[in-house]
Amino acid sequence: MSDPLKYVGQPIARVDGPAKVTGKARFTVDVQPPGTLVCRILRSPHPHARILGIDISAAQKLPGVKAVVTADDTLKIKHGFVETPRYPADQYPLAVGVVRHVGEEIAAVAAVDEHTAEAALKLIKVEYEILPAVFDPEEAMKADAPEVHPSHPKVTEPFRNIAGKTETGWGDVDQGLAESDYVRTDRFESHLRTHGYLEPQATVASWEDGKLNVWTSSMGPFIKRKKLAQTLGLPLSAVRVHKSYVGGAFGGKIDLFSHEFCAALLSMKTGRPVKVVVSREEIFAAYRHGQPLIVELTTGVKKDGSIVAQRIRTINNCGAYKGSGVVVIFLSWGFAMATYRIPNMAYEGFAVYTNNTVRCPQRGHGAPQMRFAIESQMDMIAEEIGLDPVAIRLVNARLPDEQLPNGDNVHNCGLVECIEKAAERINLRERYGSSRNKAAEGGSLRRGVGIGVSAYFGGSLIYPNSSSVIVKLNDDGSLIILTGSLDIGQGAETILTQIVAEELQVPISQISIMAADTETTPVDIGVWISGNAYVTGNAAREAAMAVRHKILEIAAQELETETCQLVLSEKAVSVTGAPERRMSYAEIYEASVRSRRGDPIIGEGHWRTMRDVPTHPSLATAKGRWTENYAFDAQAAEVEVDIETGKARLVRAVTAHDCGFPINPLNVDGQIDGQVSMALGHAFLEEVMMENGRTLNPSWLEYRMPTIGEMALSESIDVITESYVVGQPYRTKEVGEGYVSAILAAIANALYDAVGVRLYTTPFTPERILKALKEKAQADSGNA
Amino acid sequence: MEHIKVVVHLLINGDAHDLAIAPEATLSEVLRGQLGLTGTKDGCGTGECGACTVLADGRPILSCLTLAFECQGREITTIEGVACNGELNPVQQAFIDAGAIQCGFCTPGMVLATIALLNETPHPSFAEIEKALEGVLCRCTGYNKIVEAVNRAAEAIAARLKGGTSCQTP
Repeated sequence: MSDPLKYVGQPIARVDGPAKVTGKARFTVDVQPPGTLVCRILRSPHPHARILGIDISAAQKLPGVKAVVTADDTLKIKHGFVETPRYPADQYPLAVGVVRHVGEEIAAVAAVDEHTAEAALKLIKVEYEILPAVFDPEEAMKADAPEVHPSHPKVTEPFRNIAGKTETGWGDVDQGLAESDYVRTDRFESHLRTHGYLEPQATVASWEDGKLNVWTSSMGPFIKRKKLAQTLGLPLSAVRVHKSYVGGAFGGKIDLFSHEFCAALLSMKTGRPVKVVVSREEIFAAYRHGQPLIVELTTGVKKDGSIVAQRIRTINNCGAYKGSGVVVIFLSWGFAMATYRIPNMAYEGFAVYTNNTVRCPQRGHGAPQMRFAIESQMDMIAEEIGLDPVAIRLVNARLPDEQLPNGDNVHNCGLVECIEKAAERINLRERYGSSRNKAAEGGSLRRGVGIGVSAYFGGSLIYPNSSSVIVKLNDDGSLIILTGSLDIGQGAETILTQIVAEELQVPISQISIMAADTETTPVDIGVWISGNAYVTGNAAREAAMAVRHKILEIAAQELETETCQLVLSEKAVSVTGAPERRMSYAEIYEASVRSRRGDPIIGEGHWRTMRDVPTHPSLATAKGRWTENYAFDAQAAEVEVDIETGKARLVRAVTAHDCGFPINPLNVDGQIDGQVSMALGHAFLEEVMMENGRTLNPSWLEYRMPTIGEMALSESIDVITESYVVGQPYRTKEVGEGYVSAILAAIANALYDAVGVRLYTTPFTPERILKALKEKAQADSGNA
Repeated sequence: MEHIKVVVHLLINGDAHDLAIAPEATLSEVLRGQLGLTGTKDGCGTGECGACTVLADGRPILSCLTLAFECQGREITTIEGVACNGELNPVQQAFIDAGAIQCGFCTPGMVLATIALLNETPHPSFAEIEKALEGVLCRCTGYNKIVEAVNRAAEAIAARLKGGTSCQTP
């Protein structure tokens, strides 16, 4: 029996808490080198237009303007969220010849202050030839639709504007459906939501002596360095991305953004630091939001509820460039197949260009949309065949060690336990259906409960594919961690510190962490592929192990014993059973420097997921492995609906989660609470309203995010399926984005349970609920 | 461009400042830009997110909508001014202990709004907490742990008052 864990698995307060609570934490918006110029960006007012000419001469002459740049000042190198042979980069940092969405970047100004920069933008004259535009993805697929870009050459259907297609499957779906006892087809639609990060997009760039120094509100310094170097025509080594804290991201700060490129280019032009802080209105109206999906779903089941076959077709309105639109149609398949056994499956997903703003990842990256569809239909099927929502899920839920069709394995999948525990906590079996359309006290309020399940991958292979960590021993026995990981609020710095503390038995307060600097810290996968705890965490553990080996070797030599006789405790090593034979880490450091040619004890560790897999799977065919870490969860919701006003709210959420092993339970709970909140915003409040490519509600007054007034009770249940053992690799699973999905489905199902109406489109606004109630009343009276 | 400046006398975190500012400069611009007090955050610039909340004579105000010019004669407290002799304010400590901080961008505004609440209402009900913090958006936490932090802070302050303390919260 090994010693109990002292740091890992404990609800340790975050290490960046003091900096953040005192205002000392420096975010990009706080970076202000002396002499910094202000950058502002000229954006297209049109959803689709040819640029006939740009006249910047008047802007250049305005006193206080230091530089004005257009595409002609750039190398015209494209970039993209995806850059593969099938899906090459497709977007210029500044528009070349054509603009394809409202807000597309055309020119940028650097001036001595904001007023001057804004005035200069007004002096730039752009002559446009308006082109026909298209906004609805199904309209855009029609043969006579305006062309945003030509369809992908490998897409054989006669559709227009196809950015990409994912097509995969197994078995025989037609035969499976024919053999099913019950088959139904439904269509679900989700809407456009935004990330709502509190810190606006911001970048400071400073070109000094042939080096571009960059501070930017991002989700990983190494991916930003790569894309900036690529588009600016610089060697990677000429770009240094520095650490700054990030005021929330939720997927919205991964891609290269034009403002980052423009700040860099303007600094290179002027030789002065250039800062751009994007306004909230610009973020709403011109920046990348999530991905509205249309999901057409046909499912056939046996009498016992077991799925025989499923046919899924998704259409993603991916905006004016590919963004991550071609990734979502691939991921959506993954979110469909990971939770339930589907013997026969046919999947096709289309990413369709439209003249809307570009889309990017958003927490869950397709999972909320897909799980909403599948889990809603699951409840409908259950009702039709006379099963309860728990039973139908238990029949289909994947079991430990099941092999997935892409070669992945679910390993210690805790889904069944998650379903049982979430259902039990909210008393779902007893309550579901029992109070439908019944008021507790004769008023207009109705309550219902519902459940949903989900699974989410973590740490997949995407540039730069691996994380490294360095751990250094100081001569006083304290430690320094060097990591390229970035804390965006999720607690990256805290959990890496906990892991190193555990492996080396050094108190948290004695460990400092230097993070997220492309020159002084080692490479890291970034905090956008849900792999920090697993990939970077294991790298940190390996680095600490290397230090541990050296410490033990030196102590064994100095204490004249074997390393297996030694124990680590409180920055010291002692001999088992003889605590007086002891060396502090400070003494060990001194001994190492003395006896090992100056070695001050530095450990390095590296980790890469699936080391035998060369690269990420095909986005087009879904062939190839994707991850070795699927997190599973079941979430239950209690929803209250006012049948007079149509207003609905989430009262209570229960999340039973298999995140493997919670390295920091306090952080895990925080992630879950935040995702429940985001999901209730998704369900009831938030929608970016667009008309002809223009955003109608570009502010937080008109785009309602949950306030404390909408807070729901959030309870979590740990289903622990993995363990952490000092000195051994561990497999943990993600917690940062998987719990935003099943709860959305659970809300939809609870809403049905409350009032007996099924909504196929998010968000569940009072208008939609009232309309559905009215239709139901008419149908009921027609049947009566 | 020529800009007219006016001289204002501001009292920030107990320190007096004479500053030449543009008459239209907001308090958040002066705090962040001229005084380097970047703990005050600006999430929208239009008074919608509450991240820029500071205290004026102990009451929360939105520094992005308040002209610095109007703050003369008022005691302004920012997040940099709430710790006492290097010791965190009980509200700050409670936010750390309760896990009420994630990205940290709303934290200064949340902490200051909480301090103002607890000064007026030492033992707030949930409805009172809701009312005091409804103007500060948090996207990370779902507010659950923020409510817990407020309750913990109320207990800590009560315990501290019982024990007697030299530090005054603003």
